[in-house]
Amino acid sequence: MAETRPSVVELRIPSKPEFVGVARLAILGVASRMPFSYDEVEDIRLAVGEACNTAVERAVKANKTDTDIVIRSEILGGKLTVKVRDEIDVLPVIPEATTSPTDLDEQGLGALLMELLVDEFKVEPQPEGGTLVTMVKYAG
Amino acid sequence: MNLKMNTRSIGNEASIIDLEGEVDVYTAPQLKQQIITLLDGGVKRVVINLSSVEYLDSTALGVLIGGLKRLRERDGTLDLICPNPRIRRIFEITGLDKIFDIYSTEADAAKKAGSKEVT
Repeated sequence: MAETRPSVVELRIPSKPEFVGVARLAILGVASRMPFSYDEVEDIRLAVGEACNTAVERAVKANKTDTDIVIRSEILGGKLTVKVRDEIDVLPVIPEATTSPTDLDEQGLGALLMELLVDEFKVEPQPEGGTLVTMVKYAG
Repeated sequence: MNLKMNTRSIGNEASIIDLEGEVDVYTAPQLKQQIITLLDGGVKRVVINLSSVEYLDSTALGVLIGGLKRLRERDGTLDLICPNPRIRRIFEITGLDKIFDIYSTEADAAKKAGSKEVT
């Protein structure tokens, strides 16, 4: 019988640059438990790191570094869904596909990397405030 | 993991920055400051050695692009040493491998400096 309930790993970190590495270590552990290749695990680590980066950078700009970022990983079969939720209302900037990478700032480069590294990528404002970045990667 | 940084002069107006560890949103500002310091000191060619870099993100890419732009304004250049295929792939998928000169070894990077002096 196929699994219907995902295994969930959730982590809360402060919106500060020195904690982004903690989130990357955690997702490395989660992704390593799934049948991903070494390169795919690295892609997931970078994509989640970028999602946290954009949360931290927007928190700094909004002067809200006392807020938290919640990283929720859901494993269901060969599907890994990572949801990165922050408390910042301003959405990350998603660059146009035609923009030259040298014309992008850090945030634009981060969004570009997320789009390239995972199979599904979505950014949406939350009804209760804040922003949710959802990324999906399929193993195999 | 943190970032270790060591800067060496490799001749007239040229320096190598050896990096070891993770270049990310937390540590990239250190690299940015070091590049600015070299620029202020009159260095025209900066080579960033990524051989011992284990992780590199968009913040690092932003710092490298910024450094390259500043150096080009002064007729200088910023080149990379990157033998690690995993790190090199980040430059390839973003298209930045077409912007930077990326070498596999320090010797290869040095050859460019040599040929420039000849021509």
